[in-house]
Parts: sequence; C-alpha cells; structure tokens
Amino acid sequence: MKRLEPLKKVVAEALGELDGVLALRNAWGGVAPHLFCREGELDGLALWPKYPLPRTLQLIQKAHPESRLGIVARGCEERGLIEMAKRNQIDLEGIRVIGLACTAEEARICPCPKPYPSILTHMVIGERIEPVADELVEEFLAKSSEERLEFWKRQFSKCIKCYACRTACPQCFCPECTLEDALWVEIGRIPPPFPSFHLVRAMHTVGKCVGCRECELSCPADIPLATLYALIRREVEEMFGYETGGDLEAQPPLVLPMELES
Amino acid sequence: MYEPRIIGYLCTYCSYPGADLAGISRIKYPPNIDIIRVLCSGRVSPELILRTFREGADGVLVGGCHFGDCHFINGNHRTAKRIPILKKILEYAGIEPQRLRLEWISASEGERFAEVVEEFTETIRGLPPIREVLG
Repeated sequence: MKRLEPLKKVVAEALGELDGVLALRNAWGGVAPHLFCREGELDGLALWPKYPLPRTLQLIQKAHPESRLGIVARGCEERGLIEMAKRNQIDLEGIRVIGLACTAEEARICPCPKPYPSILTHMVIGERIEPVADELVEEFLAKSSEERLEFWKRQFSKCIKCYACRTACPQCFCPECTLEDALWVEIGRIPPPFPSFHLVRAMHTVGKCVGCRECELSCPADIPLATLYALIRREVEEMFGYETGGDLEAQPPLVLPMELES
Repeated sequence: MYEPRIIGYLCTYCSYPGADLAGISRIKYPPNIDIIRVLCSGRVSPELILRTFREGADGVLVGGCHFGDCHFINGNHRTAKRIPILKKILEYAGIEPQRLRLEWISASEGERFAEVVEEFTETIRGLPPIREVLG
C-alpha cells in the first residue's frame, strides 16, 4: 500500500490543473476505469489488477477534444500510448501522464520487459524495478519445428473466436478489421482454421505490440498469445532495430520505405 | 512421391514479363508453379499468402522488381520488409519458412526465373504436403 497514498496525493494535486485524471477505482469486487474529477472521489482509487486505460483515454479525448486530461499509466500503458500517438489515435499534447511503477510481484506475474514509465513522464510513483525475462519465450525457442506446430495447433484449437484479444488490444483500432473479413477468415467456423485468424493477427501486431498482455489476460481459452507476440517483438527489434513503445520519434518499420544503401 | 503445387505471385512490371521471357525463350522450368499476376509485389498481403497456404499451396513465390525499378517507386520495399517477418512468424508457428520465397526478377531475367522455379520446386519437394502440415 506504499504507492496508493502518494498516488492519491499526486492525483489530487493534478486535479487542481486538470479537468480529470483517468485511473482505476474499486468496483463490483474488481476494478474499473474511472475519470476522477473531484478530490472526494479518490478514496475509491485502485491499483491492481491492471486494466488497460489508453483506449478509455482515447474515447474520452475523442468526445472532449478540448479537455485537459491526466492518466495514471504503468510501463505497458505508456508504451501503448506512444504507439497510439504515432498512429494518430491519441493526442499526447494535452495529456499529463502520472507514472506508476509496478511492484516486483506485479512485474513477475506479467512478466514485463519494462515495468515502469520513463518517456512521457519523469514522475513515477513507486520503485523502478528491473525488467523480468519471459521464461516461456526461452522455453518455446527450445522446441523443434514439429513441437511448435503441435503446440500452436493445440492452443489455437481452443479458440472460440470471441475477438477478445483484438478488442482488448490497445493497438487494434482499425475501423474495418481483417479478422472480420470473410475473404481471410471464414465466417461461422469455430475454431478458426489454422493458420488463418491467429497468424493474420500475429502479423498485424508487427511494430505495434507493446507487450501489455491484455490479449492473453482477456482470452477465455487461455491461449498464450503474449508468448507468440513476444517472439515477434524480438524479431522486429532484431530486424528493424525498432523497439515498440520505446521512442516517440522512431517511425513504425513496416510503413516506411527502406533506406537504400548508397 | 507427391507433386508439389506452387503459387507464384508475380508483379506485372518485372517478374511476370520475366516469366514470359522464360517462356518465349523456350527455357524449361517445372510445371509445378501456377502464376498469378499482381500489380505490384507490395500488393501481396500476408493474409493473401496465409490463405494461399490454407487453400493447399505447398509453396508461395513472390516475385517483384529489383530495388529502384519498382513501377510504384517503393512498393517492393514493403514486400522486402513484410516477407522476412512473415517467414519468422511461420517458423514460430511450426510451418517451414522455406515454403515462402521472395525473389527480385526483372523483365530481362527469364533464365533467372527458370532457375528460381527449378530450385524452389526442389526445396518444396523435400517438404511434406502442406495439407498434412496444416491438417
């Protein structure tokens, strides 16, 4: 509870200058996003379990473009905001980010490549702890080609095509989704035939996935999607030197022409 | 032994005329490839490639213009970035990445086209039929 009181204080101070601060509040035995507008509401402020706020912020900003907003953001949420801003989904100009560092325990549950924000804000509540390596990724890399195929076929066969992975993803904002196009994903078939749907979605996370794990957390079939996307993230870093959510200036690699060697 | 089926997506400005040249020059190449002409190699989306495999293609060849020659200036740059990452995704999913091949073939490289098809067909022949893999 070391972070809760300092966070309340910082949010209360910010409310003096802002119209509202988006954070989590205790609700119905869990947490829910809430736009705190008055200091009196802060009693209900909650930290855990994490819940993706960037998309909620996007909705509020769309409805009230002139409002001065704040957001309590963890490392993953900061990365999400950065990638959203690059694709004109959010205007960071009027946004104040209040950083929240994850505890060692929280970072271990995820596991998180960078469990604290550092780019959009200098103010971070809580102690910055070291990144946690994803053991499942290493475990997966040791598998042979046949084992990998078997593994994903079994995992993807659990899919009930609820689209929760896409809906929860802060980077999935296309008005028309390829996954709903009968040309690429057959309608009315559960599970979706391998490798359509899942590999299409995997391809679409290239240069976008920030490793917030919302897809995996929201999956009712417990498909380890975050492992697949983490592998792809590594590849994107290696191939294009692009770290998703790591930099406001760097442009997403797939949309740019290659620099020709002179 | 099975006869693999290969789908070749060739761009209309370079690789397709390249294949045409192979034909009018009477250069022999395996008949395993079925060619689909596209406006640009950049038009070949990952979804299209995945569906091609799903529909039963054992291999997919994407042919585009050499860098600097693209009719659309940098359409092939997109292809050049997309294909390697898609190959990695296939590899992680346990599908042999060799099933997908990207080649830059110009309109004057008829021989090159025949060589590529020859080589690619042999590669694919060494792999199990895609239907067995995807199930």
